[in-house]
Amino acid sequence: MLPAARLGLSLGRLAASLFLSLVFTTLILLIAGAPPIDTFIILFAGGLGSVAKLAQTMSVWIPLVLCSSALLLAFAPGLWNIGIEGQIILGAIFATGFLRPFAEGGSPLILVGALLAGMIGGSLWAYIAGVLKTWGRVHEIFGGLGLNFVALGLTLWLIFGPWRRPGVASMSGTEPLHPSLWLQEFKGLSLNPVSLALALVAIGLVIYLLRSTRWGLSLKAVGQNPDAALLFGLKPNKRILESMLACGALAGLAGALQVVGVYHRLLPAISSNYGYTALLVTMLASFRPQLIPPICFFFALLNVGSIQLPLQLKLDSSLSGVIQGVLVLSVFLVHGLEGRFRLGRKKE
Amino acid sequence: MDFLALTIAGILSAGAPLVLATLGETLTERAGVINLSLDGTVLLAAMTGFAVALISGNPWWGLVGSVGVGVATASILALVGPVLGRSQLAVGFILTLFCRDLAYFLGHPYARKFGPELPVWSIPGIRNLPFIGPIIGYQSPVVYLSLALTFFFWWWLFSTRSGLELRAVGEEPWAAFARGIKVQRLRIVYTLIGGALVGLAGGAFSLAVKPGWGRPQGAEGAGWIALAIVIFGGWHPLRGALGAYLFATLQVLGIYLQELFPGLPAVLFQVAPFPVMILTLLLVNMGRTGWFKDLAFRYPGLKRWLIRWQVTAPAALGLDFRPEKET
Amino acid sequence: MHVEFQDIHKYYGRVRANEGIDLTLEPGRIYGLLGENGAGKSTLMRMLAGHIEPTRGRILFDGKPSRGFNPSRALALGVGMLYQDPLDFPALKVWENFRLGGTKRDRRDTLSRLQKLADRFHFRLSPEEKVGELTVGERQQLELLRLLDLGAKVLILDEPTTGISVKQKEMLFTTMRQLARDKGRTIVFVTHKLAEVEELCQEVIVLRRGKLTAKLPAPFRPDELIKLMFGAKQEEPEEDQHRHNLVEENFIQLEQVQLLGEKYTLRDVSLGIRPGEILGLAGLEGNGQELLLRGLAGLVRVMKGRLIFDGEEFQGRPYLEFRRSGIHFLPAARLEHGLFPDLSLNEHFRLAFPPHNGGRHKLSPEEGMKAFSIQAKLSTSARALSGGNQQRLLLALIPRQIRLLLLEHPTRGLDHGSGQQVWSHLRERCRQSTALVFSSADLDEIKDNSHRVLIFYNRRLIADRPTFSISVEEMGRLMAGEGRAV
Repeated sequence: MLPAARLGLSLGRLAASLFLSLVFTTLILLIAGAPPIDTFIILFAGGLGSVAKLAQTMSVWIPLVLCSSALLLAFAPGLWNIGIEGQIILGAIFATGFLRPFAEGGSPLILVGALLAGMIGGSLWAYIAGVLKTWGRVHEIFGGLGLNFVALGLTLWLIFGPWRRPGVASMSGTEPLHPSLWLQEFKGLSLNPVSLALALVAIGLVIYLLRSTRWGLSLKAVGQNPDAALLFGLKPNKRILESMLACGALAGLAGALQVVGVYHRLLPAISSNYGYTALLVTMLASFRPQLIPPICFFFALLNVGSIQLPLQLKLDSSLSGVIQGVLVLSVFLVHGLEGRFRLGRKKE
Repeated sequence: MDFLALTIAGILSAGAPLVLATLGETLTERAGVINLSLDGTVLLAAMTGFAVALISGNPWWGLVGSVGVGVATASILALVGPVLGRSQLAVGFILTLFCRDLAYFLGHPYARKFGPELPVWSIPGIRNLPFIGPIIGYQSPVVYLSLALTFFFWWWLFSTRSGLELRAVGEEPWAAFARGIKVQRLRIVYTLIGGALVGLAGGAFSLAVKPGWGRPQGAEGAGWIALAIVIFGGWHPLRGALGAYLFATLQVLGIYLQELFPGLPAVLFQVAPFPVMILTLLLVNMGRTGWFKDLAFRYPGLKRWLIRWQVTAPAALGLDFRPEKET
Repeated sequence: MHVEFQDIHKYYGRVRANEGIDLTLEPGRIYGLLGENGAGKSTLMRMLAGHIEPTRGRILFDGKPSRGFNPSRALALGVGMLYQDPLDFPALKVWENFRLGGTKRDRRDTLSRLQKLADRFHFRLSPEEKVGELTVGERQQLELLRLLDLGAKVLILDEPTTGISVKQKEMLFTTMRQLARDKGRTIVFVTHKLAEVEELCQEVIVLRRGKLTAKLPAPFRPDELIKLMFGAKQEEPEEDQHRHNLVEENFIQLEQVQLLGEKYTLRDVSLGIRPGEILGLAGLEGNGQELLLRGLAGLVRVMKGRLIFDGEEFQGRPYLEFRRSGIHFLPAARLEHGLFPDLSLNEHFRLAFPPHNGGRHKLSPEEGMKAFSIQAKLSTSARALSGGNQQRLLLALIPRQIRLLLLEHPTRGLDHGSGQQVWSHLRERCRQSTALVFSSADLDEIKDNSHRVLIFYNRRLIADRPTFSISVEEMGRLMAGEGRAV
């Protein structure tokens, strides 16, 4: 097929999917009794309207990109790492735990330690799911999902138990970190350069690993055919554990960054469902790394925009999740219909 | 005695939605389709059931609404998955998130409101029996339904011709196709029937077991547990129901323990089912691992004990089937 | 029933499985459908059974064309096919298998009907047993009963004698004759064995490379049939291997080895292998050959006994150590278990030959492609290769100088030429003193290529004989558990 034709086809697919999503979303809004046009305006203005809002969108973009890159590593050997949500949480817990002794503040170098601790936490959680799969044949969907709930429970227990704020234990989280342990933000914006740089490095690194290294190739080989990978001496179980460790490390990093860069404390909802959202992103991108940043941006935009909904229209902010779901479903539907259509034509 | 009977009654009640969802998914997976969307579907069905009941003033209409939601979700899954040939796992997972968010979004106006509940049925003749009476003489209709459907589908799956065809489709779709069984149609039909039962489970939550709607509703995670129970139950209705009651027992025990030991953190009881879920899956699956085989070879007693727990999935579970592929 | 094929074509991509076939089948006759592997016999019959659709042409039943044809329509018309790999339900019970897709009856009627039919042909089947636990022969018997119960007027039997004993075969043939003579059934007997055609059939249809080359009535002239099957000139197998002089000592020794597989255990295997030796494993599927191959490769656990390789005990060591010591295994299902369907050939080479320990035996991908005459580009994905190219790729991915090569059905699904090519490559490796152990369902392949034959029956190794001392017929008898092993 000519490149131009292929581009045209992808654009056509995109347009069809967007149109479908628009129709479905409008339908849902009408069911909820919300004015569709106003809702869309609020959604997009909320995340694009000003530099500050754009910065806020980017601050959501960062964990999404980190987690989506992480998931690319897990999907390569065919792993459904639903446990990523818990891995983010463990990253946040480990980072918070690492910083607790420094209640009086300290040098920014400590932050490096906190980020590393976060990566270790995420890896640990991913490793458990990996071992359950390789040594116990428990599918990673169930292992990971169970661990997500455990991680959530762990956070709650810490916030209301050993790490509770002196006097009041509440859903608002642990005692805030000393300001010297906050990642420095761009002036007047809720976006910090360190996180941004780390996210860019992460996606770049993952692309490099998957495209240009033998390790990346062997991960893909394991995903394609574990039996053949075994015969080729690629040690599938070891590769699976490695990819889980790497994925968990990036997810843990995302969690740690939420603590030191965004909330400056441990919250019950510290992961903000970014892990699940990132799973949608990766599926929408059909596992193509170059599509990850733009899709993450769009999803971040929806997330940030939807925060305004309860205030302005008395709608629940979960609308962003609804739209994201509709979008991915539409793309699957369009691809599926297209495949069906092609098959039908071939038969004639 | 009465305490024990009431505890069992509580387990039957708490287990009812889990049993329904497990049954539904068991049927769907027996046909070779994985409907991973349970967790979201249950929530959306619970919300819809409650909302419909509130608006219509009739909880039975609510239950109908729940079933409708279950069927609708399952039909999206059937369309994108088996019919159009996209990954069932992927579509199921997307639907999980989508339905959950949709439930929160559309359910916003109905949160924390009082609404109608399903009536409690008291069965004359049984209600006054000692011990049995308190257990099943006085329960919500969804409890009776869950018990009846369990036995019905057990009989139906293993003793009827259509049940045989269902099992055949999930095992060897190609062989079934060669024998003139309409594989694709059956796969879709059982995805929808399974979805209806899952929807019923959602209604059972919001109209009977955990009445009302809110964020969180309290049914969060139940769908995932049901998915795990299907595996634990070896795709068998009775064993699946048993698994569901096991988890319900855990819940009821949790409530008692919490009263007995107020010092224990409450999260412990909320989280406890999930490690148990992992452990049950470990129990039924580890028999196939190499290290376990070595161990079993050395200690044959271990093998005999574990073999009872071993499960085998329908051979064609999750596979794409289309007759054109052969040509 | 009168069946007529009109100008049938069947293409799979660029492969022409059937080309322009015109053929008529009359009721009450037994036809032999003869051709070598890959000649298009199964394809043609699967179209008759409604399992696949012709690319072009049509099939008439009693003069009427069939529309929207599928297996159930075919069955309704009275066409039943017994597949080479039984198309049944291993997880379900015998009587449930019999019931599926059959006449509507309750459980008791189903059981009594099954019993009656089985008695008529002296088949012994226990209805409550799971089909997965039966032998291939028993599964065929069950299928046959089922098709008869459905009243099939045209019965297609696709290589039905590969999995059954000689006695069972005679019984089957008697049944076929009865059905054709007394009930006017049309029977198509698909095979690549001349002897069976001579014994059973009244008429023979020969296919070669997808085309109909002849339709002859009995009596048949074997040399003529061979010519029709293989073409004018038949390649002679290369000489030398039968006289190959093996002086060297065993480098692999199995002592009372017990292997634990997924489905069963193979006990008490003792044998030795010398460098450059070729061992053929014969046995019905599921009797131990698969396990022995995987056990030698280090892929299956040795639970008891010793596996000695170059004087060292290897049992219990990890697979990678076997592989590093020069032991390689090629599975029968090449694409399913041996290759990565969506990775390119170049990526396969990269995975098979790590840069750090390639050494002097390493071929560059280009050299490999050429040396093994793989007809594809390096960027092609493995999925797009033909069966022959897949097998050549797998062979190209094995380092030059290895000690032991284990192959499962090395030429299954390959056409004659590709098969020959594979074997000439394998013999070349043996001349460089690589030992070779292979399994095959084709006893002629074993007879033609091996130095020694190992025969498996009832999940045991029952015979280990030099190839020159055993005939194909005797192998068949031993495999079926008849006659005494020596």
